[in-house]
Amino acid sequence: MDKAWRPKGPNAPDSIEEVIGWLETGKVSPAEAFRLFADVEQARSPGAAAPPAGAAATGRAGAPTAQELRRVLEEIHGLIGLDRIKELIQELQAFVEVQRRRQAAGLTAEPVVLHMVFRGNPGTGKTTVARSLGRLFKEMGVLEKGHLVEVERADLVGEYIGHTAQKTREQIRRALGGILFVDEAYSLARGGEKDFGKEAIDVLVKAMEDHRANLVVILAGYRDEMEWFLRQNPGLRSRFPIHLDFPDYAVEELVRIAEHMATRRDYRLTDEARLELARLLRRPEAAGAAGCGNARLVRNIVERAIRRQAVRLVRENRHRREDLMRITAADLEGALAQAGVPGEAGTPPGFRSDSGFDLLRQVTAFMATEMGNNRRAAGNGLPA
Amino acid sequence: MPTAGSGGGGGRAGGCLIVGQANAGKTLFLINFADHMGVKDLDLDVTWPDGSRERFRYPVARARELLVDDRPHTTRGLQAVELQLPRGKGCKAFRLCDTGGLTDGVHGAADVRAAQAQALRALRHAELVLHVMDAAAAGSRDAAGAIGEVDRQVAAFASLRCPYAVLANKMDLPRAQAGLMKIAREFPSRRVIPVSALDGRGFREVKAFVWDHL
Repeated sequence: MDKAWRPKGPNAPDSIEEVIGWLETGKVSPAEAFRLFADVEQARSPGAAAPPAGAAATGRAGAPTAQELRRVLEEIHGLIGLDRIKELIQELQAFVEVQRRRQAAGLTAEPVVLHMVFRGNPGTGKTTVARSLGRLFKEMGVLEKGHLVEVERADLVGEYIGHTAQKTREQIRRALGGILFVDEAYSLARGGEKDFGKEAIDVLVKAMEDHRANLVVILAGYRDEMEWFLRQNPGLRSRFPIHLDFPDYAVEELVRIAEHMATRRDYRLTDEARLELARLLRRPEAAGAAGCGNARLVRNIVERAIRRQAVRLVRENRHRREDLMRITAADLEGALAQAGVPGEAGTPPGFRSDSGFDLLRQVTAFMATEMGNNRRAAGNGLPA
Repeated sequence: MPTAGSGGGGGRAGGCLIVGQANAGKTLFLINFADHMGVKDLDLDVTWPDGSRERFRYPVARARELLVDDRPHTTRGLQAVELQLPRGKGCKAFRLCDTGGLTDGVHGAADVRAAQAQALRALRHAELVLHVMDAAAAGSRDAAGAIGEVDRQVAAFASLRCPYAVLANKMDLPRAQAGLMKIAREFPSRRVIPVSALDGRGFREVKAFVWDHL
């Protein structure tokens, strides 16, 4: 079937990631992708294989590597929100590059220690950023492979003496050349001095020294818990020079994330749906849940809306392409409750008082707000 | 009650990867192989193509109901379980990871393509690959596509990188024996293990292969 199309010359892919991108966008089939993998590897093979750890990001394999590096940076900058983190990544990139140039010029170079602590709620982009950093460090020649090994307490801590060291070393072995991402790292200290978690931390710290040239360790978890964790283990703070805070997404950012998720699946949110989603996400129940879900909550809402849209289209017997793509405000109805957020269908925000007077006052205030919203919506040409 | 403990996420490298065309029986193999290892509650660690992770715990029978379907492309992410492989006095822990189904052509649905891309990424970092093929379909008269170009490419790609075996699946069905012969002829230098994800035949050989190579 597919022997026909195989790009050569300037149209040939520069990297395996590019081929995978083509597969995702439907430019090639999986079978073609495998053939192109072989082409990419062949193109890199005559002495131009992926640069070893510590090698410069330019040189014989310079062109493709530089392109890939640019692509990774573009991807990082394309992430929604995370402005401070993007700045810091730029600083890191510049720092590594300058240390390399200093070394080449015979100047004293600072050791490049890239172990990090990520603090933030679930769904705020910690894993996504870690994965991008792995690829970035690979393309910069800091890490050999740049893959991400994601672990948590259960993957590191054993059940009997000696088991923990064995389990932790096994995960470290798998992460060599890439990033070891320890999710909910604070749980390693939750059992106190006698807990095997302490042993896992000791093994980790030793591995960070032993494999400093080829391993980056990232400890991640809730902000307060990570602070507590670092206080419990004073030696750790200095070993992790980079601390990144991942704030919760703003409602506008969550709506953009929802749009992005929908677009990737060939769906479009109507203007009303965007407004409705923003309204839902501003509700106190959602704000509480967003702290525990963030982008994940949005994904659940989008998935729920896609299912509701399907039911609606079948009921309405609509088949037009635009109809199949369009997610309307009605499709978002009940989305929060379905996404596991209690209270959406119940009392409106603010209705928490037992006092009759308070209740009456709040009902009035709520109605006034809703009428104002309706007027604004009508003013925007939207159904009120 | 023994459970399959879940491991870390995602695009997460390494472990034992199950790949193959859509509807070859990959997910049923994952569930029933875990069942065969004594797992009663399946702790599934699912990584979606956008990189997010979710964990699900289902009794094995419920997992079959929810995750296995006659329709192709039910699996839209990497779904993994951690298993303990005992032998003699020893025991090896390993991660068994199921992937979205591959196709010979370009699939029309963006999320199916994203799952395929995720499978290819995972394949690059796998420590052992189990390539599931539908032996019954390969043995039927209308066998076009049962052994696809994508299967040949997977075999060529994976066998150069890590231990690799073809699981000729659905051996419980008529014509599977003929399909097994066809698969063995098509991949003469590869290890081909006849299995049935449904009734568990061949699981002992798969366990031995994993033990010897992981």
